[in-house]
Amino acid sequence: MTKQEMLAFVQAAVEASGTIDSVAVLTENRNAAVRFGQNRITQNMDVFRRELQLTVGDGKKQATVTSQRIDLSALAEIASEARSLLNTSTPDPEYMPPVEGGQVYPIIDEAWDEFTAGCPAAPRMETVGKLIDTAGENNMKTAGICWMLNNQTAVATSTGNLAAHRYTSAGLSFTMDRGLASSRTFLKGTAWAELEVDPEIQKVVEQVKMDENATDVPPGDYKLILEPQATWNLLMFLPWIMSARLADEGTSVFSGMEGKKITGENFSLSSSLYGTPPAIPFNTEGLPSRDVVWIEKGVLKNLPCDRFTAQKTGRPPLFVPETMGMAGGEGSVEDLVAGVDRGILIRRFWYIRFVDQKTLKLTGMTRDGVFLVENGKIVKPLKDFRWNWRPLELFSRILNVGKPVQQAAGMIPPVVIAEQHYPFTD
Amino acid sequence: MKQLVQRTVDILRGRGVDYGEVRAELIRTENTDFRNARLDDCRTVETQGIGIRVIVNGSWGFAACTGLDRDDIESAATRAVDIARAAGGRGKVELAALDIQQGTYSGPCSKDPFEVSREDKISLLQKASDDMMKDPRIKNSYAQLWFEKRNRVIGTTRGDLIETDLVFSQPTLTATAVAGGDAQSRSMQDGARIAGWEWIEQSGIGSWGEKAREEALMKVLAEESPSGRMDLLLDGLHLSLTMHESVGHPTESDRALGWEANMAGRTFVKLSDQSSLHYGSSLVNFLADNTLPYGVATWGWDDDLVPGQKWYTVKNGIFQEFGSVRETALLIGKQASRGCCRAMDTQCFPINRQPNFYLEPPDNGVTPEELASDIEHGIWIEGRGSFSIDQRRENFQFGGDLFWEIKNGKKTRPLKKVIYRSRTPEFWGSLDGIADRKFFKTMGLLTCGKGEPGQSARMTHGASYSRFRGIEVGGGR
Repeated sequence: MTKQEMLAFVQAAVEASGTIDSVAVLTENRNAAVRFGQNRITQNMDVFRRELQLTVGDGKKQATVTSQRIDLSALAEIASEARSLLNTSTPDPEYMPPVEGGQVYPIIDEAWDEFTAGCPAAPRMETVGKLIDTAGENNMKTAGICWMLNNQTAVATSTGNLAAHRYTSAGLSFTMDRGLASSRTFLKGTAWAELEVDPEIQKVVEQVKMDENATDVPPGDYKLILEPQATWNLLMFLPWIMSARLADEGTSVFSGMEGKKITGENFSLSSSLYGTPPAIPFNTEGLPSRDVVWIEKGVLKNLPCDRFTAQKTGRPPLFVPETMGMAGGEGSVEDLVAGVDRGILIRRFWYIRFVDQKTLKLTGMTRDGVFLVENGKIVKPLKDFRWNWRPLELFSRILNVGKPVQQAAGMIPPVVIAEQHYPFTD
Repeated sequence: MKQLVQRTVDILRGRGVDYGEVRAELIRTENTDFRNARLDDCRTVETQGIGIRVIVNGSWGFAACTGLDRDDIESAATRAVDIARAAGGRGKVELAALDIQQGTYSGPCSKDPFEVSREDKISLLQKASDDMMKDPRIKNSYAQLWFEKRNRVIGTTRGDLIETDLVFSQPTLTATAVAGGDAQSRSMQDGARIAGWEWIEQSGIGSWGEKAREEALMKVLAEESPSGRMDLLLDGLHLSLTMHESVGHPTESDRALGWEANMAGRTFVKLSDQSSLHYGSSLVNFLADNTLPYGVATWGWDDDLVPGQKWYTVKNGIFQEFGSVRETALLIGKQASRGCCRAMDTQCFPINRQPNFYLEPPDNGVTPEELASDIEHGIWIEGRGSFSIDQRRENFQFGGDLFWEIKNGKKTRPLKKVIYRSRTPEFWGSLDGIADRKFFKTMGLLTCGKGEPGQSARMTHGASYSRFRGIEVGGGR
């Protein structure tokens, strides 16, 4: 659908609702991806999807209907179902009317690339073919996914707000392995042309060769060098539990910590509208996105806050606009390694879960590359290990921060963390 | 739906595909959610769509759409065929033999939950939520009733045509207590069933509010776990997750082939381990069963059109066979698929998923207390908590939902922050006692994540109380 068609559709949905309050969100996306494993293509997909979410309210209670019948003639029936549902609902003491009219939304045009939006198959096939051939030539196996997608969203509120946004994404994530030796990488961009595939393939092949004949980690004290993938694996737990409401209920590590130091000074976390990836300019309530500093030099500055909690406590309503990055410095992973006398280089973590949510204690494993570093050089590969850590404690002991690279939802740097005693399972 | 599928199959026949498969679904879900004793979400979701899977020159092509107009479907068929051709034969797809499948299957449902009034659902949840929030130390409560009605039709260019009608029902409830600077939760974790409103009545959610409140308070005030090597007595709800992670995933054939190496991971179990690997003690019998009544993977046929089956994954402690799909069966040395191919919905390519499976319980009359009586020092664990396992599915760490210390054969003080660590063959090898089948409990899981892009799948697991010797405990503080 064109932008105008999407806007007209959500406006029509709001008009059809027949209730005092309503919010309509229409999403359209196409996702084309090739999956491969064991040096063969295992899935080859091209999926097109449209969905409408209509929330209606009468000033005291609300109800929501989601439908994939994207047809103006279906709106009356969808709205009727939403009203029926509303009639059976009960008054909500936390009822919030739609966002006040007159909201101004940022325009983020940099999120769309026309070539990527077309999802042509040939570049994906060529890339996957190259990967499979390279793996075969090196007696390795490769597995992964190569994708292109486009997404359009439009929102309308009964208070008169109306907005639309579109973005594209392209990416390649792959693992290569030979026996128990493996490595993995992740590339992502708004446009297919941003992906620098060839050097990455060669880099991963060399990393697999370095990973052969891994031995157990000897007990002792080690600095930790986290590659950006590993930093992101730990970081992603923060936005999951950063919530003003949870903090107020006393169930989160952030309870009573707003304005206070929760990590060391070289840890800052923020969301930027024009960051990498660019933000989504509004949420599904029609609230505009904005630049937010969540943690600044170790001080907790803001927590995501729903509109009811915001009204109740005087905080601003805030949400993570699908992008969040950690402030970095200069230098590559190799540069960071060069400055470490004795440490463990970790490429990636796996299956991280809460051990204790109240103290943000996590457990997880390493995966696809762990190395002993001595006197600034990678000395030998190590076997994967389990750890139980509190990431806020780790981020309180950062010694060095490198140059950020793009991970799933933001620019993330490699970091060096002060000595820890192995085993890491206390 | 059948006509839509047959029309689409005809379109594929006209495109000259080697194999064409059309999967159409209409899914209606209903959520009623309470948070902190207020109705937080009252919602219905209707999804529809068609997924088209073809093989052309040995390569897969899959396209899907949510629109059901002729133009939408023609476009999807064109995209499926085009991307299969673009693969240039790199797929090498061969499918295990299967007789032509035709028929219908309806899951058990005595009382349609969509016919039960929303007022009754709200009233039930309001009472459970009020019960949880009666103590001011309960700072957070959550209660939900979730229902789904799923009509699925699959047809192929071979002439297969099947239709299934399934109703899923799930009650959920959690209370979180805050006291002494700590926060602890207690949850109702029986999960989902292919069943109607009768499962909600049978689950006892109406009385679970008080139980969750009292046990959350007991837990937050409890002492923390001791550490060291000790014995464990684990209930069926707890073991449902342990077996899911350490038995279900490692015995998926696509992992053994390396197809999930980039995401869900690999497995320590090798193809050559079939019928020979010592997976556990001689008491360990894992029975896979996609015909299990109320099991959430009991769909009549999988998405490869393979009928539901029952087989031993582990028999007398020996690993028998991977769960497979038609494409992987031949690659692991089998002639037929075990019927483990399922997609989250029509927008997803179907992949190798876990079947329903459970630790087969004995008829021995043994009670959990009798199992505990032979434990000098150990921990009694109920329900699921923290869980993590390495990508080869061997090195794991689990928590639980409720804990008591066992001393000199008796269940004594409550505990909190208990975790244990082990390795898969050692853990199942340490099992030396299982309680009678009357203590057998199942858990229907709706959210097993796998694949790229991520898909969730459903399966039911179960066990009776079981005793494990000499497991490393500690580190939850």
